[in-house]
Amino acid sequence: MAEVAFRNIQKSYGKTKIIHGISFDIAEGEFVVLVGPSGCGKSTLLRMIAGLEEITEGEIRIDGRVVNDLDAKDRDIAMVFQSYALYPHMTVRENMGFSLRLRSENVELTDKRVREAAKILNLDSLLDRYPKELSGGQRQRVAMGRAIVRDPKVFLFDEPLSNLDAKLRVAMRAEIKSLHHRLKTTTVYVTHDQIEAMTMADKIVVMHDGVIEQMGTPLELFDEPNNLFVAQFIGSPSMNVVKGQVSSSPSGKLCVRVADAFWPIPENLGVSLGSDVFYGVRPTDMYLSTEDHGITAKVIVVEPTGAETELLLKVGEDQITLVVQGRVNLKPDESVFLNTNTEKIHLFDANTQIRIR
Amino acid sequence: MIGVPLLIWTLIPVYHLFLFSISTKDSATSGHLWPVHPTLQNFEFVLWQKHFYLNYFWIQMWNSLFIAVMVGFLTLFISTFAAFAISRLKVRGGRTVLNLALFTYFIPAAFLAVPMYKTMGQYGLLDNQWALILAMITIASPYSIWVLKQASDKLPLELDEAARMDGATPMQLFRLVYLPLMVPSLVAVGTYSLLLAWNEYLYAFLLLSKENSFTVGVALGNFLSADDSPWELLMTTGLIYALPPAAIYYTFKRYMVSGLTAGAVKS
Repeated sequence: MAEVAFRNIQKSYGKTKIIHGISFDIAEGEFVVLVGPSGCGKSTLLRMIAGLEEITEGEIRIDGRVVNDLDAKDRDIAMVFQSYALYPHMTVRENMGFSLRLRSENVELTDKRVREAAKILNLDSLLDRYPKELSGGQRQRVAMGRAIVRDPKVFLFDEPLSNLDAKLRVAMRAEIKSLHHRLKTTTVYVTHDQIEAMTMADKIVVMHDGVIEQMGTPLELFDEPNNLFVAQFIGSPSMNVVKGQVSSSPSGKLCVRVADAFWPIPENLGVSLGSDVFYGVRPTDMYLSTEDHGITAKVIVVEPTGAETELLLKVGEDQITLVVQGRVNLKPDESVFLNTNTEKIHLFDANTQIRIR
Repeated sequence: MIGVPLLIWTLIPVYHLFLFSISTKDSATSGHLWPVHPTLQNFEFVLWQKHFYLNYFWIQMWNSLFIAVMVGFLTLFISTFAAFAISRLKVRGGRTVLNLALFTYFIPAAFLAVPMYKTMGQYGLLDNQWALILAMITIASPYSIWVLKQASDKLPLELDEAARMDGATPMQLFRLVYLPLMVPSLVAVGTYSLLLAWNEYLYAFLLLSKENSFTVGVALGNFLSADDSPWELLMTTGLIYALPPAAIYYTFKRYMVSGLTAGAVKS
């Protein structure tokens, strides 16, 4: 277990700068997820912790020790690769024990550690198989086993679940989380899947174009996004955003006007009449009303998923997603009235895209 | 369908060789599909060294074998390390070295024979088997490095990274991960350079001058220096000479399998 600290980390390939000065801390035993769209620099950052990528500028410290010039093998870090990267010519047992074999650890201890890890990961019966004889999920577990056996200071995961099918992904997600709960090893996990980030992280770091957009607990990011990017990135289905102008509704209340639609906003927000804003509301923070009250919308698609129903609606030129609990008896082209939980909406400055509080 | 005439085309000379080797001197060129009196006498002549052209047959056989094995082994040694350095360790200037090495193939080997002869003379290696060994390594290495580099470029880079994370030094990575996965290519390259040296005539002829340091290839050439060449013995010796390469090929063929890296990474 260890703390990891980043101090003004920068990375350039030739003249192209891809990470622009990142600083943050990871506490001992914390599960941190780096999330962002592809090309945001999250994997590069992870590989810099691993020692597989050079640090152009800045410092990475593990347990207070600057590791910039330390070789990957001397950092005492284990990594699970997206592609598993199992040694194909070794059995599961040999794969998992490889790091200990390199350290010339004695055979009995190695065997004991491998069997312990195998038990945790349900690999007991597969120890003498070769990687090609395993399914995707089993290979993934072997890759994790290889990391566990070493008992490293830090675990790194580079999109470990993206090669698995949806069902297995959910199962492995839970497995990794419970594993972390059990071992309490500091973990850095990279993914582009915000659901993985939300469900697994103690702390999420949202990255975009080589900078940190925001970091915090999953629910902090969900409830209090700093800017439009984070607001739209976190949450599924993603937040509805329409562009409009702050004005007064016919009934005299403060609202955002988008063509003929008036989207209500709380009175206590620091906005002035006439300013351009993005109006954001999550699909779960709206409801339909039967009476002639709210914003007129037209149903485009109805998607029942059993417990809830997802509706795609059209309001003026904008498409709005709405999630309602239970089932609704609606058909495409029907008209409905849309209302929002005014307290839950977010406004963003149209120029800076920063949230107005 | 194309295979059938091709097979016949390839096999007829070999059959002819075989025919010669079981015929008596008089009937060797008679043109029969099967000799009237087939005989194994030629083999006796060769194996018991009963002809003055064959006085050193077993020594020459040993020379051929020693030279071929050394060339195969040393070429493998050099080209494996070179390919590993160029392809996996990404040594600076590695590509330039590879290109320079391949550049030597622009000049036909025959043109290099004389410079090579002079060089070996300067080193005092003439009529020494090591002269031939060194020359053959020079000829075989660039292609071998190139083939091994191509093969090792196909090994997933994540394997190296995983090994580094597991604490492997470059030598451990080489020995424990790289070599086992390169076995099929190593066997192919080793066999190639071994057979190249085994079959070499020009350089062997130039660099070796005493009958007891010849390879069988050169000795076979000398059969033709007489007016009445003993064709049946020449062919018999040729047939025997062809057996070790065939044995080597079939022994190592089973190692030249693909799919060794299956299961390493998700493709």
